[in-house]
Amino acid sequence: MTEATVRSEVGSPAPMTQAVQAARRRAKMRHTLRRASVYAVAIAIALWILVPIWLIFTMAFSTPQDVRSFPKPFYPSPFSTDTIEFFLNTEGVLRSTLNSFIVAIIALLLSTAIAMPAGYAIARFVFRGRDTIRLGILSVRAFPVVVLAVPLAVVFIRLGMFDQTYSLALMHTALTLPTTILVIASVFMGLPYEFEEAAQVFGCTRLQAFWRVVLPLAVPGIAAAAVLTFVLSWNEVFAAILLTITNRTLPAQILYNLDKSGDPYKFAGGFFMLVPSLIFIFFIRRYLFSMWGQLNK
Amino acid sequence: MKKTKLLPYLLLLPSMIYLLLFFAYPMLESFQLAFRREGQFLNLRVEPQDEAAVVGTLALQTDVTVLERQRLEETLPNGRTRPFYWFRVEGLDTAGTTIEGWASQANLFIESRTESTTARVVGGESAREWTLDYVNRMLNDYRFGSALGTTILLVVLILPLQFILAIIMALVLQAQIRGSSLFLYIFAIPLGISDLASGIIWYSIFTQRGFLNSFLVGTGVLESPYIFIRVGNESWMIAAIVLAEVWRATSIVMVIVVSGLQALPRDYIEAGQVFGANLWQRLRYIILPLLKPSLQVALILRTILALQVFAVVVAIAGRDVLSVLAYETYRWYDPQRFNSPNMAAVYAGFIMLLSLGVSLFYLRAVRSEEEAAKLL
Repeated sequence: MTEATVRSEVGSPAPMTQAVQAARRRAKMRHTLRRASVYAVAIAIALWILVPIWLIFTMAFSTPQDVRSFPKPFYPSPFSTDTIEFFLNTEGVLRSTLNSFIVAIIALLLSTAIAMPAGYAIARFVFRGRDTIRLGILSVRAFPVVVLAVPLAVVFIRLGMFDQTYSLALMHTALTLPTTILVIASVFMGLPYEFEEAAQVFGCTRLQAFWRVVLPLAVPGIAAAAVLTFVLSWNEVFAAILLTITNRTLPAQILYNLDKSGDPYKFAGGFFMLVPSLIFIFFIRRYLFSMWGQLNK
Repeated sequence: MKKTKLLPYLLLLPSMIYLLLFFAYPMLESFQLAFRREGQFLNLRVEPQDEAAVVGTLALQTDVTVLERQRLEETLPNGRTRPFYWFRVEGLDTAGTTIEGWASQANLFIESRTESTTARVVGGESAREWTLDYVNRMLNDYRFGSALGTTILLVVLILPLQFILAIIMALVLQAQIRGSSLFLYIFAIPLGISDLASGIIWYSIFTQRGFLNSFLVGTGVLESPYIFIRVGNESWMIAAIVLAEVWRATSIVMVIVVSGLQALPRDYIEAGQVFGANLWQRLRYIILPLLKPSLQVALILRTILALQVFAVVVAIAGRDVLSVLAYETYRWYDPQRFNSPNMAAVYAGFIMLLSLGVSLFYLRAVRSEEEAAKLL
């Protein structure tokens, strides 16, 4: 509200009721207008995000002829799976997709298994060095992949672990571990300690209390953290292209072939990489804020 | 009670070992790669024997004067013998002092074993030495300047756009309009999109036969397609990369900002409303100052990630067209190209230093402002 409108309302010689009604109408108007503008902005941003996804979807499900054509169609007409089939049948694609899955699954399991006890310790115990450890974990969370990938490649070559899916999985585990620890810690922090105490009062050991009471409650949050690990590993390309040659993951394979391949391969590949992430984000969307909310502290 | 004291450390142990193994050890290795070189040095001996004590070392290609020679016999595998010479030589070592000692003919180039008075060191034992050669090579590389410039330009262009958009997105979600959970999902979608996929998507828009040209020609704005992405048209390539990055990576900032907003005391914002502050004033004087810690986290995270921008650049501009620091790292490392892990480690170390510097700068800048506020 500006000063001018206040003055005009206060100083207006018109009868009180009329002024009140006018002000109310104006307020309502302003309210509707504000709502409408919020909607407009929300829809504009949603379109900004969705339109490019729609466009790559269009490319993936048009015929290869349409993909190469100009001007391009803005929706698949005719709808065709030829392009995506061509992509999937290109040599190396299925194999690298399988590799991507293996790497991501190993990273997910390993990272969750190692992070769970650590997260629990940070959430439940007060011990000397706790803040230092937390801070240390926080600071390696943002550690550049580029910095780690080069020396690890050299070490892996020396140890005979180069170009293996499991060594890339080890690397991805390292990348996601800090975040996973903090997320899992935040999940445990969200569960009241009284539950465990009660279980212990009723004769459970500490381990039993954890296994039977805390863990079942923490599963959804831990699963969300695990999904995050999967997505990160599935999307990671720099370490993947450095650490593998014959056992490439999907992003590494696509990146490697980028210069040598035509638009149908690229666009179908772009869409294909997108799909799992879209699904996974849908499942963990509820947890995003609680995860990050805790992480910022 | 001793058990409970040890327990948290035991629980943390696997993680700590893993992180040390995969963060600390590679960092040491990286340091070695960047600053140490495998070199060959000739060890001069006290006596004409391989196992004799070492007097000093000479670098390869050092010219030496032969002071004395000794003829020995060497037995070949077939049982025959042949002469094998050791020379007592004198030369300047790397520190510039004159040293003398024995060296075998295997490591010296000498015209006549029996008569020459000078020789040159051509062999020796391998040893590692400290070197700044790789660093100098990076600094003098013709692509280094443009790689650094482009990377910083991208950071400077991407971050402000991202933060403005993320704050708008967060405010829209906070407005609690109907369907906000749907909007939340849509706004969060890019969280799962890889930089490579994002690069490919925006390439499909900006390429010569792409969607943008299809639209512009279809609506009659242009008569023939404009080639946005080509050598010599850097500004359009940068624009496409910035759009791809803003499109993909704004969601993470949004998530951090929203969780920051949720933690804010509502009274402050309501108080602002009651006292008639408009949206801009509330944002400028209440919300943003309170959000500072969240914004700081997001800023550090995003800057570090933006300094490593790689796949988007390759997908949009192609290889070797537009250089950024992470791409240079890959280019030097690539076994099919330069195959130099040392140079790659130097570039990676440089990115690391930049990230560290930027983080410290942000932390410092925010703290000093707070301290200044306290002083006032």
